[in-house]
Amino acid sequence: MIQLSFEEQKGQRKFVVAWSITFLVLFPVLIALGLLMRLNQGEIIAMQPTTFYAIMTLHGLGMAGVLFSMSFAGLWYLIGTRYTKLSLGMGYFVFALTLAGVIGLTVATLIGNYAPGWYLLYPLPFVGTSWEEWSNGMAIISLIILGVAWIIGSSHIVSALAKEYDGAFNLLGWQYLGKKEVKREVPPIAMITTISLIAGVMSFLIGAVFLLLLLLKYFEPSLSFDPLLLKNYVFFFGHTLVNITLYCCLGWVYELLPEFTGREWKTNKVLVYSWNCTFFFILFAYFHHLYMDFAQPMIFNYFGQIASFSSSVPASAITMFGIIAQFYHSKTKWGIIPTAFLLGVAGWAIGGFAAVVDSAIAVNKILHNTMWVPAHFHTYMLCGVVLFILGFLFYITHSKAEQERNKPAKIGLWLFITGSAGFLSMFYMGGLNSIPRRYADYASSPIASTHDTGALLAYIAAIFIVLILVGLLTMYASIIFRLGADKRETL
Amino acid sequence: MLQSTTFLTIQSTAAIISLIATALVISVVVFLMTTSSVDEDKTSAKNKVYKIRGRYMIGLISCVVISLLFTLRLLPYPQFHDKPDRTITVVAMQWAWKMTDGEPNVKPDMLEGTPDISVPVNKQIQFVVTSQDVNHNFAIYDAKGVLLAQTQAMPEYKNRLNYTFAEKGDYHVFCLEYCGLLHAGMFATIHVE
Ligand code: HEM
Ligand SMILES: [Cu+2]
Repeated sequence: MIQLSFEEQKGQRKFVVAWSITFLVLFPVLIALGLLMRLNQGEIIAMQPTTFYAIMTLHGLGMAGVLFSMSFAGLWYLIGTRYTKLSLGMGYFVFALTLAGVIGLTVATLIGNYAPGWYLLYPLPFVGTSWEEWSNGMAIISLIILGVAWIIGSSHIVSALAKEYDGAFNLLGWQYLGKKEVKREVPPIAMITTISLIAGVMSFLIGAVFLLLLLLKYFEPSLSFDPLLLKNYVFFFGHTLVNITLYCCLGWVYELLPEFTGREWKTNKVLVYSWNCTFFFILFAYFHHLYMDFAQPMIFNYFGQIASFSSSVPASAITMFGIIAQFYHSKTKWGIIPTAFLLGVAGWAIGGFAAVVDSAIAVNKILHNTMWVPAHFHTYMLCGVVLFILGFLFYITHSKAEQERNKPAKIGLWLFITGSAGFLSMFYMGGLNSIPRRYADYASSPIASTHDTGALLAYIAAIFIVLILVGLLTMYASIIFRLGADKRETL
Repeated sequence: MLQSTTFLTIQSTAAIISLIATALVISVVVFLMTTSSVDEDKTSAKNKVYKIRGRYMIGLISCVVISLLFTLRLLPYPQFHDKPDRTITVVAMQWAWKMTDGEPNVKPDMLEGTPDISVPVNKQIQFVVTSQDVNHNFAIYDAKGVLLAQTQAMPEYKNRLNYTFAEKGDYHVFCLEYCGLLHAGMFATIHVE
């Protein structure tokens, strides 16, 4: 633990509140975009495909960006108030760049109709486009700004921690593996943060190469690149970003949960092995996005499936069992924070399982790019990451006693869970019925059942989305007004 | 092949195991929430959990290894198939399909083909799939809307998808990679005779 002056504490608090407000505002707006998509697919409203795909692009990029930013901000706060001093100047710089990136993407998509999907799959941004020429450049530059912001922010946290703990190897927990006694304990959050953010920086760098190539082509249209290589780049980037968003959140679950269960959760050999393996699995699992590229060297497909399957071992046997050991017969009072964390882990487990199923090549050949894909990642984002984030927001606004008492928030949480379960089930059923993903609507399908099933599922999903929003706003009511008040004496 | 000869489609197998896993996760959550009021000291509770974890880990690792051995044998790639009886070239473009017999030696944008093609039943067909502009995905659906097989249609690359139609009838081609404005509107038909 480090000692911060009152002023420093206040500064960090203000900083995390700034990120939180940004999250709280943008998140429901992005859900509303999701609702519009489902309404269109359900044939309740009718919009132009240009609009649908611009909305889809903003929703995908926006959600991934906003959730990563918030998980990063939560880590920053916990680490910056407990384990090492972090520079607020640097922090606000990252914050400003992030906002600039978000604004750029919003303008490019909503005004310029920019719509190549979150992944800007080369050469789609340049061929047969329905959007304004400038929106392409604007979106690419905005994404580069976001990448730069996150590289700076992540490097700052990791290097500050490395200074504090005498080097990155200690942070990776390697001193636990030797025979010698551990001189200075590394808290799990520091190890998990380091591993996640190093993987993150690697992916941002690859993402930056990808974007710079696109930018070159934007200015010099005669250039051309290898589409398979660029596909590898963009999926390495996207896959890793989504994974580390989840892992960053797990970092704070490890950190905060013991306060509610009364059981400590420390770094040990098993944890170190487990998270170091996870690091490699994150980096290799992305190949599962390219199984249907038969031209990809086959060995990579094997890597992809083996890494994806293997990642279930550290995730479930170590982290999920760790959670079970935290809760089992612990006399935990089910306030909203431990509940959100436990349910978040459950959502992660369910979505993760569905991901592993789809990461078998033999299954992927009939589930790839069906609704099964959004089904599984929405499960661990919406019922994993988002629940961890909500838990964190309650943590910075409620004392332990308050979060136990807060009935309305708990009702909100259960509404949110119920809505999500319904909304997600429609995605899964879509996947099982071979409904394609990323279809603005199913009206022109030559197969009647594809159209009927697709539209019906979307219609039902829309109803559940409303429930999600109601639950979310109910929880907001108790978070928003407390963000200003500096509740938690210990921080 | 697999999907028409076995009793369960891959889709329903995926559904069943995912449902079981979900039920398992939910039961663990319910169990933890309902039994947490029992007071047990830390060490003895932890020891119990870790004992189960040991067994779970052995079970899980065996499952992972067995399912890898089982699933990594039957892959959709051409190396895993016999020589095809017939070859069809498929070119995707924004927003239509061109198909033709054989493998003519022309650039994708010069290829002449139709969005309708006939192929024989119970013969192994190799679809040589490429694109003349952006990424698409060549996916074959049966008349009931079940996805049977797919491969990406990429510019500059040829992906070879082998498939044997076990039943006569009309099959539909969907695009399964987002390719711009009319992605949801590009279809083709394969008549199996
Ligand atoms: C209630 C909340 C949400 C709703 C209603 C919603 C709805 C949707 C819908 C309808 C689609 C298009 C599906 C398709 O036809 O392919 C979609 C795609 C997507 N969503 Fe969500 N979503 C929600 C939450 C999230 C969250 C939390 C994330 C976090 C990462 C997220 C990330 C994405 C991404 C990356 C895509 C793919 C975009 C693309 O294909 O380019 N969504 N969402
Ligand atoms: Cu398409």
